[in-house]
Amino acid sequence: MRGWTRDFFVALAAISLATPALAEDGPVRIGAVLSLSGPAAVFGIPERDAIQAVVAHFDSTTKAGRKFEISYYDDKSNPTDAVRAVTQVASADKVVAIIGPSTGSGILAAGPVAQRLTIPLIGPAGTLAITDPKNEFYPWIFRAAPSDASDVGAILQDIAKNKVTKLGIFYQEDAYGKTGVDLAREVGPKLGVEIVETASSPYTATDLTAQATKLRNAGAQAVFLQVSIAALGSSFVKAARQVGLDVPTYANAGLAQRSFAENVGPELNGLRVLSIGNLPYDPTPGEAELAKMLEAAGKKPQGWGELTGVNALMAALGAIDAQKGKEITGQSMRDTLETLCDFEKYSRGKVCYSAKDHDGWHEDSLVVTEVHDKQLRTIK
Amino acid sequence: MLTFAEYLLRGTLAGAVYALLAAPMSMLFATVRTIDFAIGGYALAAAAVAASIDGPQGLVLALATAAACAGLMALIFVALKRFGCDDGIVYALASFGLATAIASVVLWSWGAKSFVRDSNAVFWSIGGIRVAQQGLFNLGVATAVVVALHLVLQHTSLGRMMRASAVNAVGASLAAVPVQAIQTGVYIVGGLLGGLAGLLVLYSAGLDFSAPLGLTLSGFGAAILFGIGSPVRCLFGGIAMGIAQAMASGYFSEAVSAMTPFLFIMVVLSVGRSGAEALAGGRP
Repeated sequence: MRGWTRDFFVALAAISLATPALAEDGPVRIGAVLSLSGPAAVFGIPERDAIQAVVAHFDSTTKAGRKFEISYYDDKSNPTDAVRAVTQVASADKVVAIIGPSTGSGILAAGPVAQRLTIPLIGPAGTLAITDPKNEFYPWIFRAAPSDASDVGAILQDIAKNKVTKLGIFYQEDAYGKTGVDLAREVGPKLGVEIVETASSPYTATDLTAQATKLRNAGAQAVFLQVSIAALGSSFVKAARQVGLDVPTYANAGLAQRSFAENVGPELNGLRVLSIGNLPYDPTPGEAELAKMLEAAGKKPQGWGELTGVNALMAALGAIDAQKGKEITGQSMRDTLETLCDFEKYSRGKVCYSAKDHDGWHEDSLVVTEVHDKQLRTIK
Repeated sequence: MLTFAEYLLRGTLAGAVYALLAAPMSMLFATVRTIDFAIGGYALAAAAVAASIDGPQGLVLALATAAACAGLMALIFVALKRFGCDDGIVYALASFGLATAIASVVLWSWGAKSFVRDSNAVFWSIGGIRVAQQGLFNLGVATAVVVALHLVLQHTSLGRMMRASAVNAVGASLAAVPVQAIQTGVYIVGGLLGGLAGLLVLYSAGLDFSAPLGLTLSGFGAAILFGIGSPVRCLFGGIAMGIAQAMASGYFSEAVSAMTPFLFIMVVLSVGRSGAEALAGGRP
């Protein structure tokens, strides 16, 4: 191929990838790159289910009457696959915004791709680093869930309020677990809570009695679980009971799942779990509306995965409606998202994005719940 | 001292499950000279079924499901042999594929929920250390299974035929040993034992769709530690791994404790006489 011909086609391909402009009457295309397999599927599947339920309820039409289409891809809970999926959904489906990837590591890996293709990612993950302004790709990432800093701050405040001064932490061996511990070490002393011991485990541990023994021996007055795998959380509370670690237990939002609540015994009534809303058990009117949509789609609300997935969808739809009558591109979606404030959604709290705040969701969207009779009850 | 003894005991109890996962690997290696990496998948399948169906019939169906999954692996093994494949590595890789397929089927059928059953909250005190009855039950089951497998392998004509099938399949066939039937049967029995391990995990800790790889690697580590050819060594390997994990979790910082069990395996395999046997199969 002659040089100029190759250059022409390369330029054509780059333009078609980078600026998928849409005529006003055509459907706006949105990508959803979610963890539908692998360890993070515990969040990715509810995110997808909820997005599908809302899309069905809206009949693929925004409030302002604009048609939209969603293309779903699996990031397999893996950053490499997340990059591949983001590239694919951008090139094959010509999307103007992408919901996901589901995990923080996936978003961090896909960020440079989003920047290059000028398509914003709306990530339903708490990982602090994804909206770090130092990232070169910062302008292209928006968060659709409270950050880990908001989560850890909120649960530690509750722990401090209950006069706990010596805290033990059990966490899973991944970025979520480690970040939570690091934040707790930073925030805890400011609230008068000393982290006396920490213990960790990989996802698939079959026995956690050694970890529970370590925390018991350290004299912890309470235990904080920085865990998102329900089976691991259940396993730890069993192990704690076995070794005689009879102290109050608190869990971060990762365990606000039906699967966890239903698997802890009655002796753990009172175990406190931070949650993003309380979709399955104590919904607000907005959450109840979303729960109804899920039930209409044949799905049982599982936890907060549905809320964060729909948060991302509603942000995208809000940005589309805010551009009524205009040509929509990845760039225009990004610019609009950055000015989006108080748009229609189903979760709690006031959400405003700005050039300086790509987090949007903050502590006012969180609630502290307690396990009672295998349900998570919101503390009033 | 009591703390050290507590970690020792807790590690021993934890290692029982690893031993139960390792024992079928050892049995298969002694018979087919390959590894069934789908053991963790059989455990997951059994746990998923038992978590969904209450009562003894749930347990029976769970074991039947695990055996059926292993039967599928046996069919894959037979098909590969028919196609002229006689390489243990290929069978092992096929079993990895099956484990992934089982995890996908569980994810598709049950979603991402975790499988946990509450065992009797009965605790015993051993020298002032509180342990759950379930942990002691796990150790008892693992010991019984390992001893039974050892007796079958080393002291019965079936065991001799199994070992002959591995050493020289053609020669064994000429000596009227039903090699293929034995090897298929060993796969299925291995599946049953994997299912049993899954049930013990279900009642003692719990698991979800992502468990197969971790369970398989734990079992494999226990199997190779002191020599894969003997189920009894698998028991000791499992217990040693459990103790290494418990000690690492109890005494080291998390940065070190995560890698300690693997370092322990590496050191044992590198410097121990048993390491050479492990690689050679460790036959008596």
